[in-house]
Amino acid sequence: MDIEVKDAGKITVVAPRGDVDMAVADEVRQRLTGLVDQGRARLVLDLASVMYIDSSGLGALVAAMKHARAAGGDIKVCMLESDVRALFEMTRLNKVLAVHTTRQEAVAAWG
Amino acid sequence: MTPRLLVYTGGVPDAGYVATFHMTSEADQLARMRSWLWTQLVGQALPLEECSAYLVAVGEICNNVIKHAYRGEPGHPITIGLAVRPDRFVIDVEDEGAPYDPRGYTPPDLDTVPEHGMGLFLVRKSVDEVTFDTARPKGTRWRLVKHRVGPPA
Repeated sequence: MDIEVKDAGKITVVAPRGDVDMAVADEVRQRLTGLVDQGRARLVLDLASVMYIDSSGLGALVAAMKHARAAGGDIKVCMLESDVRALFEMTRLNKVLAVHTTRQEAVAAWG
Repeated sequence: MTPRLLVYTGGVPDAGYVATFHMTSEADQLARMRSWLWTQLVGQALPLEECSAYLVAVGEICNNVIKHAYRGEPGHPITIGLAVRPDRFVIDVEDEGAPYDPRGYTPPDLDTVPEHGMGLFLVRKSVDEVTFDTARPKGTRWRLVKHRVGPPA
């Protein structure tokens, strides 16, 4: 899967492009947890190019979030497409992860 | 709101499909399935929000079939059928793997932020009725129903 990774100061912005389903969920999880293991635990996950996510994909985000938090960081999410936002709400993931409207807002939220 | 049920039906009558789709039990087949399903549902004038919900439900059933019914083995058949009724849409997902065993299902505790076990929960939240039939020579037939909103077509 095409996953853009960009540094923004001490923050790392990760932007997967395409559906995050069972076929790629492990790849997304490994990419995110790998960044944390490299000391880049303050993450912004930009989901603007993700039109579909399934339970495997959501599970990957939860695993990565827990990994980041255990390392003293976290994941802030932004740019949720409406169907993806609906799943975040259905699973209450929007109550657990900070969800921002724009990438700039999410990066700024790290302070 | 119609109750969302997950019940054993013990034999579901054939639905009379307007379209069917065949795939095998590899995760990389799912995108092709979603593309087909989206085209079919939009073509039947189902509202886009409902199409998206159906994509979630059917996708999660297929995930379940690949992971559990076929235990991750590739190459096994999964067939999806779409039936259109005046008052409802019906989608069946059929496999030939290990029959679904509801005793293995525990609703997720969302307060614990689980990494697994949300698939059937999302199915039940995305359609109006969920039934499954294991009274077959092999495998499971899942039936996912969405009621039409408004007057019958």
